[in-house]
Amino acid sequence: MEDMYQMDRTMSTEQDIKIRANGVQVYYADNQAIKDVDVEIQDKMVTAFIGPSGCGKSTFLRCINRMNDTIDICRVEGDIRIDGEDIYDPRVDPVQLRAKVGMVFQKPNPFPKSIYDNVAYGPKIHGLARNKAELDEIVEKALRRGAIWDEVKDRLHAPGTGLSGGQQQRLCIARAVATEPEVLLMDEPCSALDPIATAQVEELIDELRQNYSVVIVTHSMQQAARVSQRTAFFHLGNLVEFGDTDKIFTNPEDPRTESYISGRIG
Amino acid sequence: MSNVMLVLIVLGLGVIGFVLGRGRAMSAAGGDRRNLHSLPMYYGANVGLNAVVPAMLVLFAWLIVQPMVINSSVSGMIPEAEIAEGSNLSLMMSDVRRVAEGLDLAVGQGAMTEAETRSAGEDLDGLRDNLAGVGVALGSDITDSTFAAAQRYRVLAGTGHLWKTIATITASLIGLAVAYRMTSTTFRARNVVERGILMVLIAAASIAILTTLGIVLSLIFNTVEFFRLYAASDFFFSLSWNPSFSGRGGGSELGILPLLWGTLYISFIALLVAVPIGLFAAIYLSEYASKPVRAFAKPLLELLAGIPTIVYGLFALLTVGPLLVSVFGRDGALGVDWMQGGTAVMTAGLVMGIMLIPFVSSLSDDIINAVPQAMRDGSLGLGATHSETVRQVILPAALPGIVGAILLAASRAIGETMIVVLGAGAAARLSMNPFDAMTTVTAKIVSQLTGDSDFASPEALVAFALGITLFVITLGLNVFALFIVRKYREQYE
Repeated sequence: MEDMYQMDRTMSTEQDIKIRANGVQVYYADNQAIKDVDVEIQDKMVTAFIGPSGCGKSTFLRCINRMNDTIDICRVEGDIRIDGEDIYDPRVDPVQLRAKVGMVFQKPNPFPKSIYDNVAYGPKIHGLARNKAELDEIVEKALRRGAIWDEVKDRLHAPGTGLSGGQQQRLCIARAVATEPEVLLMDEPCSALDPIATAQVEELIDELRQNYSVVIVTHSMQQAARVSQRTAFFHLGNLVEFGDTDKIFTNPEDPRTESYISGRIG
Repeated sequence: MSNVMLVLIVLGLGVIGFVLGRGRAMSAAGGDRRNLHSLPMYYGANVGLNAVVPAMLVLFAWLIVQPMVINSSVSGMIPEAEIAEGSNLSLMMSDVRRVAEGLDLAVGQGAMTEAETRSAGEDLDGLRDNLAGVGVALGSDITDSTFAAAQRYRVLAGTGHLWKTIATITASLIGLAVAYRMTSTTFRARNVVERGILMVLIAAASIAILTTLGIVLSLIFNTVEFFRLYAASDFFFSLSWNPSFSGRGGGSELGILPLLWGTLYISFIALLVAVPIGLFAAIYLSEYASKPVRAFAKPLLELLAGIPTIVYGLFALLTVGPLLVSVFGRDGALGVDWMQGGTAVMTAGLVMGIMLIPFVSSLSDDIINAVPQAMRDGSLGLGATHSETVRQVILPAALPGIVGAILLAASRAIGETMIVVLGAGAAARLSMNPFDAMTTVTAKIVSQLTGDSDFASPEALVAFALGITLFVITLGLNVFALFIVRKYREQYE
């Protein structure tokens, strides 16, 4: 354990910062949901956001791909940079940004289309394939990465809504990786799944880490401990503590973090 | 005693029953409602309902059965030989009824005494004048047997009326007494009243269903009658619609195809207008419009649905028709001479399309709104633009529902009458030119029934055959639409 910790430590210092957020404030109309959050998310690593309900972790996640833009009353202040580029710069096209920063939602939301079309949706929109053969290849690769290829390869043209909940969620992950994103945001991806499906998705997240920077919001502290290398604890809109997962769970600095992970608050 | 009076008496007994039942329950409980199984009002309602409902059923059944019994008893008195040429038993019976009613009226107004009515058979002409004096005009002369039948009718009706009153009030009293005796602290009045309410709801639902059934049956009987006079194959396959007017008789060509063609052509143009405009309006309202705009624009759009169709018809006749002529007519802007007059398929179709916009837009708007937000998030999260999301995710997801909305609009278009009467003309013809005047099934139903043709002639009865054909078509469309809408509903559950 200690070795792993050390190893992660050295890795994180070596690797460059993928996402850097400075002084982020988010308001819903007059309510401040996020208060002055600074966070640095490293590449090729799983970062978990934990905290009680309504603490702002999902809101912050949705700032990273500007999904909050679709909510009229939501206002974001501060500075979020991906690879040093300010994503709230007026020159940045939020649509293009979302292709680079994929997102997986709390409830599996396959489109009412075939499994194939679900995965091919993003590549088609962004023109990633020149012909049908290439598209087939992209779809297969994405489904393999989503660890669902073997289950669906014989029924690619069956509706995606006909899969089980866990399969649907892996299909959604495959759909998200099909557009070749650099960052994958996951908003409580397992909260609607049973323990077996959860285990499959967690295993998948661990594999995805090799190619992407993954940010996962979760309610389950065990899940955060299992899948993430870095953990951020949010409370009442504040980022209370951010550090290596092992440290947060074994030796938290802030008393609130300790109370939360030991079950006294939240 | 009139029926209204009888109903009022029964209702009065019901109110008395309510008070009595409530009082008995309270006294049985020693004045403490906590000792009762149900609230005191339930005991009252139980007694009241028992006093009213069975009595009303008796009255209702009596009103249906009595005329049938009297009719069959009296009609035997009219000899076959007396049924005049061109008449039949039911016409004679209506004469009998009119004489009987006239006699009642004359007695009621004091123009005749009861004794005079009995002796009136000796002076039938004088009787006729007497009846005319109280406002009952008779078409044919009163014969002896008609008079005798009328007298018998009066006697039977009078007896029946008396027994009806007695039976109704007895039923009411028995119901009241039985329910009153049942009232005790342990009687579950609440559950009984609950069942009673269920019965009321079922009755309301069955009235709607039975009415539909009745309409269909009346259509079917008259249609069968029509097909006895006119060959069904000619009706369904003849290419011309050319009714001769009654009196000259025969020689009518009553083919439905030209009318059906006109109906479908006009509906098609109407949908061509309504579907794109309505759908785009729905997409704008549900996906792009801000809340204040939506709150303002949606009711405005739905206001279109509130305009009476006759007003649309006037709009077609006075505004759209002349406008189209000035473009497509002989001396029009295009100089093409396609359009002879203001009334045309295009005129009616355009205006009907405007009328249908709110149907399509309002239903589609609801359906698009019902597509889960997760679908939009999923698509936007993949880097799709708003319109890509609408086109590729939301519309396909909402498509079955939208198709349902369009089919409902289509069945509305097929059944539309006033706009066609005023906007499309009255000539039944098979033509491809949308600037020709044509007519529809509904418009012809109106003109066939509002003329002065004999009701028993095929020229009038054809209206029922047209009606039922139309009914079958729109019913089919509605069933299909419901089927599709239902299928759509299952998708997200």
